[in-house]
Amino acid sequence: MGLSASPAAPGAAAAAAFTILSQLCGAAFLYVLLKADGSWQVMGLLALLGVGFFLLERFPGIGEFITASLTRVPLVTAATAAIIVLGFPFVVGSNTYILHLLIVAQLYAVLALALNFQLGSANIPNFATGASYGIGAYVSALLALNFGMSFWLTLPIAALAATLFGFIIGIPSMRTRDTYLALVTIAFGVVVQQLLNNFDWTGGPNGLVGIPAPSLFGHSFASPLQVFGWKLPSQANFYYLAAALVVVAVVTAQRLHGSRIGLAWNALRADEIAAKAQGINVAWYKVLAFAVDAFLAAFAGTIYAFYVSYISPDNFTFLVSVTIMTMVIVGGMDNIFGVIVGAFLLTILPEKLRAFSDYRLLFFGVVVIGFLMIRPQGLFPQRLRQYGVHR
Amino acid sequence: MTELFVQQSVNWITLGSIYALLAIGFSLIFGVLNVIHFSHGDVAMTAPFIALALVQALAVALGASGPVWLVLATIAAVIAVGLIGAVLDKVVIRRFREAPAMMALVATVALGIVIRELIRHLYPQGSNPHAFPRLVSGVAFEITGVSVSWFALLVVGLTTLLVALLFVFLRLTPLGLRIRAASEDRVVARMMGIRDGRVFRATFFIASAIGAIAGLLFASYAGVTRFDFGVMAGLLGFSAAVIGGLGSMPGAIAGGLIIAGIEVLAQTFVPDGASYRLVFVFILVIVVLVFRPAGLLGRTIMEKV
Repeated sequence: MGLSASPAAPGAAAAAAFTILSQLCGAAFLYVLLKADGSWQVMGLLALLGVGFFLLERFPGIGEFITASLTRVPLVTAATAAIIVLGFPFVVGSNTYILHLLIVAQLYAVLALALNFQLGSANIPNFATGASYGIGAYVSALLALNFGMSFWLTLPIAALAATLFGFIIGIPSMRTRDTYLALVTIAFGVVVQQLLNNFDWTGGPNGLVGIPAPSLFGHSFASPLQVFGWKLPSQANFYYLAAALVVVAVVTAQRLHGSRIGLAWNALRADEIAAKAQGINVAWYKVLAFAVDAFLAAFAGTIYAFYVSYISPDNFTFLVSVTIMTMVIVGGMDNIFGVIVGAFLLTILPEKLRAFSDYRLLFFGVVVIGFLMIRPQGLFPQRLRQYGVHR
Repeated sequence: MTELFVQQSVNWITLGSIYALLAIGFSLIFGVLNVIHFSHGDVAMTAPFIALALVQALAVALGASGPVWLVLATIAAVIAVGLIGAVLDKVVIRRFREAPAMMALVATVALGIVIRELIRHLYPQGSNPHAFPRLVSGVAFEITGVSVSWFALLVVGLTTLLVALLFVFLRLTPLGLRIRAASEDRVVARMMGIRDGRVFRATFFIASAIGAIAGLLFASYAGVTRFDFGVMAGLLGFSAAVIGGLGSMPGAIAGGLIIAGIEVLAQTFVPDGASYRLVFVFILVIVVLVFRPAGLLGRTIMEKV
């Protein structure tokens, strides 16, 4: 019924129904994937996902239809998404492991969105997102441990510190490019990680322990969350906090994408010299991309530090930056939705591959390589900017 | 003071030669395929494991052990790793030739994970460090009270020989000419009847075999090998190639010597320098690239409009 309508313009009611249905299907898939254990179940779900993307690839009309319906009724889309996100912990119930996975996935989604400003929008490689993440985590943790500052106060300070770091990496980016720039960012990442590993006041390789849980209006995040008689485990606090951060990141990303800044970044990606000739301040927009990335990454780092209450330099290595980069590339560069999907998949997948116990990293590597070969444009490739009244 | 100086100079040249050999592989592959092969370090570090496995297999099968067999096993390992490189090129890396640079980088990082995990699973107790014998032992000569080992001489001699051979190969043989042509302009090279597939295969074989020699020398230098040595070896070799200027052989050698130099300097003169050595190395990398954005000996890229 829905499919028989013209893909370009589904009716409002059909679009609303389809929107709700497709989002519920997505949420159900996520839930089943999170619940699945045992290698056959995981393999089956992966195969299902593969078939789904194969169909998308073969019949691009399906994808167009979905996007058309989603954008036709933006309010319904947003409301359904909000209800799903708010309701998920109630469905999960007391399963703290699933909640933990979701929190980590959301934090990675924020990191991937942060990196997407550079890698996706402006095609600037950055292997220092892990370092910005680490700076955010360490600055806030040190402030909380040494000066007893509250979480809410450390959050902006950590973000400012990381943004400053972003500017510092951004400056050499004005001179180098491509592979050389990639190495500069790798070098910054390694230097930060090694310094954290060696300084006494950062706890050295042992890291920082006992970061206090934040509290809001007298409610400590370490205690269970009570909502209308429902009792949710304490992780639910952080789940909602992380979800709020994802919303902030998505809104930021969307606003920037639609603004002159987003356009300037896209122009940089298309052709730097042409962009310069158009009067775009190339150097400034490059540095800005680094700063925005570091700013958002620091938020994620702060929440991570207060959530696990223990951080060590091992959480912020070069491989973490590569993982974030993989999420952006696998999800689809410059596509906000795709990047979030990439982050969720690549966070949950290695955990689910625990069914293969010792072989999970091997599987993970093979899956990533296979992915890049089969669908190099990412799960959800970037779309052309659409202008006009209803398109 | 002179004693310390001579001692550290010997260390520097030994380590620098090993890094230079790794960097040459990166540079060679980048020059021809325009792809950063980030798992090159991991490929190189499979060599010590293959050599160890061969030595043990030989000891069990023939009851033979001794320096001769060790040398034979290392040579076999070098050839095996060269073939591994050629296969990886065919199966994985070549497919990312036309892709955006970052995609190739991420794919080869993932490939590095796969290689490390394969070593860990295929080699008995692969997660543990394994002792690796010195390829040659003994003291060659003494100057100012410092003994210079045969091993240091072997490393420097082998590196010089390999660089000379590579130079002759690239300059004077038909295959070398084809490799240079393909790295200059792949499309025109194809039009001239050069089969680029063969060129890639040859390049990967040579680069991986040279990397394998570096890996064997490194394991022998450290006296131990681990499945995850490839990460740092790759990072340092890549850095050496980049600060020297990707695609430039003299640059790769200079880069290797510079990286090893800063490492040795940090360890010798800075208190607690050993734990900060990577900080110094990578700060140097940043400084070099800020002042020479295309590396020390790299060709400055003029972008055509």
